[in-house]
Parts: sequence; C-alpha cells; structure tokens
Amino acid sequence: MHLTRHEHVCLTRRGVSRRSFLHAVSAGAVAAGSLSFRDLLSLEAAELRKQGRSMILLWMAGGPSQLETFDPKPGHENGGPTEAIKTSVPGIRIAGGWEKTAQVMDDMALIRSMTNKEGNHQRATYQMHTGYVPSGSVKHPSFAACVAEQIKSEDLDLPSVVSVGQTQGAGFLGAQYEPFVVQNPGQMPQNVAASVSGKRLKQRLGLFGKLEDQFAQRGGQTVVDNQRQLYDNATGIVLSEQTKAFDISEEADGLKAAYGDTQFGRGCLLARRLVETGVSFVEVRKNGWDTHTDHFDRIEALTAETDPAFAALITDLKQRGLLEKTVVVWMGEFGRTPKLSARGGRNHYPRAFNLALAGGGIQGGQVIGSTTDDGTAIKDRPVAVPDLLCSLCQSLGIDPRYEHISPLGRPMKIVDGGDVVSELFA
Amino acid sequence: MRTLSAANARRSHAHPSLARWSAILLIAGLVGPVMAVSLASAGVRKDALPKLKHKSAESVARKVDQQILESLAAQNVVPAGQATDEDFLRRVSLDLTGRIPTPEEVTLFGLTPGDEKRADTIGRMLESDDFGKTWGSYWREVIFSRATEMRSRRSQGVFEEWIVEKLNDNRSWDEITTELLTATGDTSEDGSTALIFAHGGDAAELASETSRIFLGIQIQCANCHDHPYDTFKREDFHELAAFFPRVRLRREKDGKKRTFHVESADNVRDDNRQPIDLDQVFRFLDRNRDGKLTKQEARRNKQFGKRFARIMKRGDKDSDGALSREELKDLPELPQNRPGRGRAEYYMPDLDNPTDPGTRTEPVFFVSNQSVPFGTEDLDRRGALAESIVSPRDPWFARAFVNRVWAELLGAGFYDPIDDMGPQRTAELRDVLDTLAAGFVANGYDIKWLYRTIALTDAYQRSMSGDESDSTSPAFAAMSPTRLRGDQIYNAVTQILGVKRLGKRSLGGGGGMRMMGYGRDNAGRGAFAALFNYDPSTPQADLMGNIPQALFMMNSPVTNGAVKGRGNTVLARTLHEFSDDSAALSEVYLRVLSREPTEAEAEICRQHITETGNRTEAFEDIMWSLLNSSEFLTKR
Repeated sequence: MHLTRHEHVCLTRRGVSRRSFLHAVSAGAVAAGSLSFRDLLSLEAAELRKQGRSMILLWMAGGPSQLETFDPKPGHENGGPTEAIKTSVPGIRIAGGWEKTAQVMDDMALIRSMTNKEGNHQRATYQMHTGYVPSGSVKHPSFAACVAEQIKSEDLDLPSVVSVGQTQGAGFLGAQYEPFVVQNPGQMPQNVAASVSGKRLKQRLGLFGKLEDQFAQRGGQTVVDNQRQLYDNATGIVLSEQTKAFDISEEADGLKAAYGDTQFGRGCLLARRLVETGVSFVEVRKNGWDTHTDHFDRIEALTAETDPAFAALITDLKQRGLLEKTVVVWMGEFGRTPKLSARGGRNHYPRAFNLALAGGGIQGGQVIGSTTDDGTAIKDRPVAVPDLLCSLCQSLGIDPRYEHISPLGRPMKIVDGGDVVSELFA
Repeated sequence: MRTLSAANARRSHAHPSLARWSAILLIAGLVGPVMAVSLASAGVRKDALPKLKHKSAESVARKVDQQILESLAAQNVVPAGQATDEDFLRRVSLDLTGRIPTPEEVTLFGLTPGDEKRADTIGRMLESDDFGKTWGSYWREVIFSRATEMRSRRSQGVFEEWIVEKLNDNRSWDEITTELLTATGDTSEDGSTALIFAHGGDAAELASETSRIFLGIQIQCANCHDHPYDTFKREDFHELAAFFPRVRLRREKDGKKRTFHVESADNVRDDNRQPIDLDQVFRFLDRNRDGKLTKQEARRNKQFGKRFARIMKRGDKDSDGALSREELKDLPELPQNRPGRGRAEYYMPDLDNPTDPGTRTEPVFFVSNQSVPFGTEDLDRRGALAESIVSPRDPWFARAFVNRVWAELLGAGFYDPIDDMGPQRTAELRDVLDTLAAGFVANGYDIKWLYRTIALTDAYQRSMSGDESDSTSPAFAAMSPTRLRGDQIYNAVTQILGVKRLGKRSLGGGGGMRMMGYGRDNAGRGAFAALFNYDPSTPQADLMGNIPQALFMMNSPVTNGAVKGRGNTVLARTLHEFSDDSAALSEVYLRVLSREPTEAEAEICRQHITETGNRTEAFEDIMWSLLNSSEFLTKR
C-alpha cells in the first residue's frame, strides 16, 4: 500500500508536513495496514514534537572578513597584523579575538572555501537568504520561510520565523511565514502586550466577533474569514504564555554575562529561548562588517561583541540538549579582499570567503576546504551557495528539491542545484 | 533608404563590416533609426480593438453595463442592487481621493437630492489634488515593490512627486509611459528615471518589467526557455531586452551629493564582436619581439593603451607586468550584459555554456515585430520601443491599463492576476474590456476619462453580494470587497484621530516597522507604509494581512489613543456631546466606517453596553472592534 498523493495533501492541509510524516511512519506499519488514519496522525504529531528541529542564523551584515575571522593568513602580507590562535581542536587555528569561540571548536565546522559571484550587498544578501538571485518577476521566499513551512510546530503560538533586525521576507509563501521582526532583543516586542486585561480583551473579542458576523452577512464573508484566522493567531500570541520567551530577564545573571550585555548578545540569548519554545527559524543580525576603512579597529569592536555571544550560544544550546536539533550558521553575504586597499581596508570579495556551522547533526571540529596562501582563491573543495543550503536542508531533514508553486504557476525548488557537503555529516 | 537600412541590419549577422558601416552612417546622422516593419505583424490584427460609435464617458459606461447585463442574463443571474449612498461615497472617496468621507460628508451626501449627485461627486473628486496623490502612491508601489536595485528606494519620493503632478495635470498614459521608458538624468531630481533606476539599468529586468507593467504580459518566463503556456519564444524576450543594452547607470562621484545618473552609453565599443587578431596585435605593438606586451608598447595604440591596465588586471596570470600571447588568448570574457554598465549591443546568453559570449541579438518588439538595426543609439532604440508600445495598433497597452484600473476599482480584473494577460490567457468578459480599451484609445489615453467612465458604470456602483460567497458569484454581478492600501489606511486613521500626521513613536515600532526613504518628511506615513503597503499587482485573494498588522491594530499606541474614552480624545468628546447611546453609536460608526449602524449592529452594541455596565468602557470596546474590523480595512 502506497501513500497516495491525496493523503499527502490532506495531511499537509492539516498542517502536518509531508517530510516528517514520511519520517514518522515506518513503511512496515503502513504496508501492514495496521494503523488507522487517525493513528497515523497522532503518531505523526508526537514524532513532530520529538523532532523539533530548528535553525539559528547569525547574520554578519556587510560581509565579514575571512582573514579576521576563521581563515587568518598570519604568514602573508595580505594577512595584516591579525594573529592566528589555537583552538580546542589541534591543528585548527582561527583569528585572534575569537578566543571564546576557539574553545567550542569541537562543536563547530568551518567552511573556508565558500565561493560566489555576487559582490553587491543587496543582491548577495538576497541570494544568501533565498538561494536565488533577485528578479523583478518573482519574490522568492526566504530559506527561513521554506524551512518553517516544512517543519513548523503545530503547538507553537508564536510566529515560526523570528528575526532580530530586518531581513528577507517570505515572498510568495505569504503572511504565515513572514519573519516577525524584533528590534530590541530583551524587551517585549511592541504591540504584543495587550493594552487591557486578558478578561477585557476576551470581552472585546466577543463583541468584535459578533460585529464581524454582520459584515460577513453583508457580503464580506471571505475577508471576514481571513481576518478571523489572522486575529486567532495574533490573539494566540498576545494571550500566550510563550511570549515569555521574549523576556530574557529571568535568565541567570552569569549566563547573561556570558552572552554579553550587547544587542547581539541579547539577540543570541533570545534566539536560544525562542528555539527552546519551538520557533523554527531565528535570525540574529549583527551590522557593521562592511569595513572598507578603519578595518582593523572596527573588526576588533565587532569581534568583541560577536565572539562571546556566538560561543555562549553553542555552549548553552549544548548544555540544554538543544544543539543536536538546532543548526547554527554564522555567515555574511560575502568575504573581503585579501589584499589590503590603499585606505587600509578590505573591499567586497565573493570569490573566496568563509562561514561557521554548528549543531544539527553537523560533525564539529573540522575544516572544509582551503584557500591559497595569499587568500585570493579557493585551493580545494569549493562550496557554492546551493551546496550550503542543501547541507542545511539535510541537517533539518528537509527535501531540498521540494517544489513550491510560484504565483505564475512555475514550480520552484527550495534549493535549485547544489549538493550536500557530505563531509559535514561524516 | 528604409529598405537599405533594414537589409543592412538583417545581413549584419553574417557581415560585421556591413553592420559597422551602417553603425557609422547612423552615428553620422545619415540614416535615422528606421523601423523595419515585418509582414508577420499582420498577425496582431485579429487582436485589434473594436470601433466605437460614441466615445464619451457616459456612452461607453452605458455600453459596458449593457454588455455585462447581457452576459449575466445569459447565465440567468440577477445582479446585486445599487449600493447605498453611504457605501458609494466611501467607495468612491477611497478610490478617487484615497481617504474615507467624514461624518459630515456622509450626511450631506445623503441629504443632497437629484440624480446627478453621484456623477457630480466623481467629477469633483477627479479634479482634487488627492486624486494624483493616491494614485501616485499606488504607482510608487507598482514600480518599487519589484525593484531589484535596492538603492533606488531613496528615489521613491522623487518619483512620487513626479507622477502625482502628471496625474493631477491629467497627462496621458502614453506620455507618461514614453517618459518612463526614455528617461535620462539625475535620479535624485528626475522622477521619470524611476523604472530604470529600480532595475539598475539591467536590460533583462527592464524587458520583464516593461512588458509586465505596460502590456500586462509576463514575457520574462521566456528568459530561459520558450514560454510554457504562451506562444512566446526565448528570442522574443531577448529581442525586447535588446532595446536596453546601452542604458547606463552611473554613480555620481564628485560633489557632496551621492546620486546616480541614467545615461546613454553610445560610445562603447561592441567588444564581443570580433576575436582579437593576435598576430596583427603583436606585429604592430611588440617592438622588441620578446613575445610580451608592456605598458609602453601598448601605448602605441591609443585604444589598447587606455584599456591596458584593465586587461592586465584580468589577464596577467604570472604577474610579470606584461601580457604574453598566451595570456591575451586566454583572456577571460567580460561578464555578460553587465547590468547598468552600458554595452553597444545585447547578447542573448547561451544557457548550456555560461562562459560563452552569447548571441548578439537585434532589438525586435514581439507584439508588432518592429525592429531597429544594430548600432542604433540608445535614445533612438528606447524611443522606437516606446512609440511602438503606445501605438494604438498595440491593443495590449490600452488593455493592460484598463484591466489594472478596473481591477482596482471593482475588486476583480478581467484578467487575474492583473499583469498576466496575453493572447493565450482567458479573460472574463473580454468584450467589456475591449470596449473600455477602445474608448481609452479614442480619448487619447486620457486617464481621468477612464476613471470617470468606470466610476459611472452601474457595475461599479453595485452593492456587495449578500447571499453568495464572493468566489462563486459571476464576474461583476456584485461589488467585490478589496483590501485598502497602506496609504488609504493611514489617511483613514489620521482622519479618525483628527490629526494631520502620526509621529513615528505613536506607531509602536516593533514588528516590521522601518523607515523608508520617501517617508523622511513624514516618519509616521513612512513607517505605516512599511507595515501596511503591499505590491499592488498582487491578486486580492492573496492579500490576507499579517500578524504585525493585526498586532498593530489591536495594541498599538495609535489604537490605544483612538479608543480612549477619557481625556481629550475624539471618543471622549463624542461621549460627552451625545448623552444618548444610540446617537453616540451613530457618531462612532460614521466616524470609523462612514455609515450608520444597522439595526442588528445597534442591538449588539446596546447589549454590550448593558452587559459591561460601564458606558465609557463599552464604547471603548465598540470603537476598538470597529477599528479592528475587516470592514475598516476593506473597500466595500
């Protein structure tokens, strides 16, 4: 007995993703016909909760220099004054300033051979967030939206995609997967707290519902149905206990200090609280990596904020048993020119750059690929954007060739092309 | 002369030298950019628009209604009745002025006698400056919500000012289109550069958007392959893109002002035309015969000398400061069709071989098959395309605009999505669309004429369907509710609050709020637009709002201020002024929804007042419910 397409569709409509359904139901049980449809559904729901996979993207906006992060070149003039320091993994050295991150290298994989063609901030940011280059004719959904669409938890009252700072939208996947943007991590997002008591809000909603029925009868049925769905979700957030996840004040002072009392530190701590609550995708943005001038001074300040938060996040996730289910990605839209400019800065360089990964089943303590001594070219194992996204799909248990249909009827895969970087999962 | 030039252009595929001659002749101004009309254009004729006996707004509106009624009668459908004065006034105010009527306007309109009051109101609103403002913001969103060059967003305000003035002066749609397609100049001063700036001057994106916006045809599906369900070939797309390769977007370097200029790159050599003749190059330039060209040697040829440094950057593999024969031979190709940098000709990429220079492609407009020869200057190319697009012989130009405006006003288009029309698509009531399009052409693409005509139809003035769900009722038998755009909601909210503008703080920030360039003079409007605006080409069925919008309406400082029943607020004043609950209720309904409550609604509200036992709080709840209602966010 095969699962028919019809059953898949029904399941998807009930909000159960096809992927986890296939994971959940052993072929044997289905073949024996021993499970009723209802059994399948409840089994599925349990499996989904158990899985609870998620992704945290630490977005280094502006394009972080690979030479001052995870691919230092101390022996070469291109390397500048940056030193290479030892990490917890013998043989892996990263740039000075990243001392705390160096201590969690056992859990991290570095890719030093990322390569791409887009050297314009907007285009590259779009591409790294969607897997596609921008086009006026279609608004590609963000990878975050695709992930949430596939694995979001049904028990979650909060939005399934949250971003600390502005980011790419859900494109044609629609409002349900739009990122919920938090500007000030640590504070309650504005407009989430009700201005009246819960009791009064429910009274209001009662009145509101009755008046909405009147408009539905006058010809507004469709818009009323939409509005009701939306307000059910919004009210769910407002009244939910889960909004406590946004409040980081109850965390221990020591832990808060480990993350750092900075915008990015609070954002990372918030990210952990959100994935713990069941949010599928959290992005935390760190601006300022576009270091055309004052390069080394600015890098020092950026690193001082980023390093402790990144390391604390990985340690914290691990201690709570969340790291195995949460893939963490540290990256920006491109790297920077190995050769220092006349102004002592580094310009945009998509040809060879680096990123760091942890969790989600990724084998830590390894480096993938390498660059030439002067850092200008990939020496071995080039990794392109689709390869990276395929690997993230693998980590999240998503089929990268799953097709969404664009508004003009064109099927679009979550990731077009590319292969899983299999060494990551070795 | 015409035949000669066209023949040259055709032959030029095989004889580059001939093409060069014609190019030189063109540059010398000996021949103009002569349009070559192919016989194949006869195929378009069967698409032609009908002839109209009368072209006045009133008579075309009558014809439209007659055609719709015939169609409905054939389906045994009785259309919905005429909308009430309240519903009509709110609808037409939102459509033609972008705001809701005040309680006073609603009352006055209801009391005005006579058959002409609706037509008079339409005429008056079309003459108000608010007409240009509301549709100017609409067009800003049409263009910029698909922008691929994000830095163009800083020019949104410049564009909006430009188009508002055009619309209020009632400049014709063909004039506006031509200016957008042929623009050159400073993007921070000249709003007509918006479309080109929005796509960084990229020929392929400009082809897509030109076709989508002005013709309603999604030709870009043919970018990589023949169109899947239309007859367009891959060549059709790239031949359209070939009208734009010479567009250049130049960053202003000097001076304090950071800006971009849209320019014509007519002095750029067609660098992919011929492979370099290495023997010849070395024979003339390599003086010491060491098989390498140095900077000094390269200088002997003025052109080559100028480009030497750049070629060295790409080609000097062994970094010896000179170019060997091998290095020159293996010179990496320049990236194809470098967007916005300006190239002499357009090259259609070879999909199987991305490093291949591609096929040099002649500009041909797929609707009329009109072409211009290789070598034609930028503004002549773009001018020829614009002329061909706005020609009355191109029925899709008029249809696309009519379909868009009709869909905005009626809530559903003849074609849906509104920008996906074309010969292979099926339309609802295509004869009605064609009647309007013919009238639009006959009136010289007069934009206000079109709005007047549509607003005068019975179809526009029908009420919503009370007993059937919107999706099952036949086209235009009843009004379809449509979602308000961000600017309309902003205007409604400020009017209800009785303030001129909202401060940024009052919006609550939070989810999704962001400053937009054009909003700098009015932070509240910009942030509001960022939260509530949407791409106006999105089908109504896909517009469902989002969580941050709902949270804003539920809990923001704006809402909290509006619903407060104590202190110096609109609601508090209303409650003070009208001690009678029913009168106060009418006032609140008129202010928020521009109508009186129905008896059933009044009953629900009175019950709530009784149950709550606190008049102020009960009215706060009512005001909150109305502001959050789907009706408030909807044009009914």
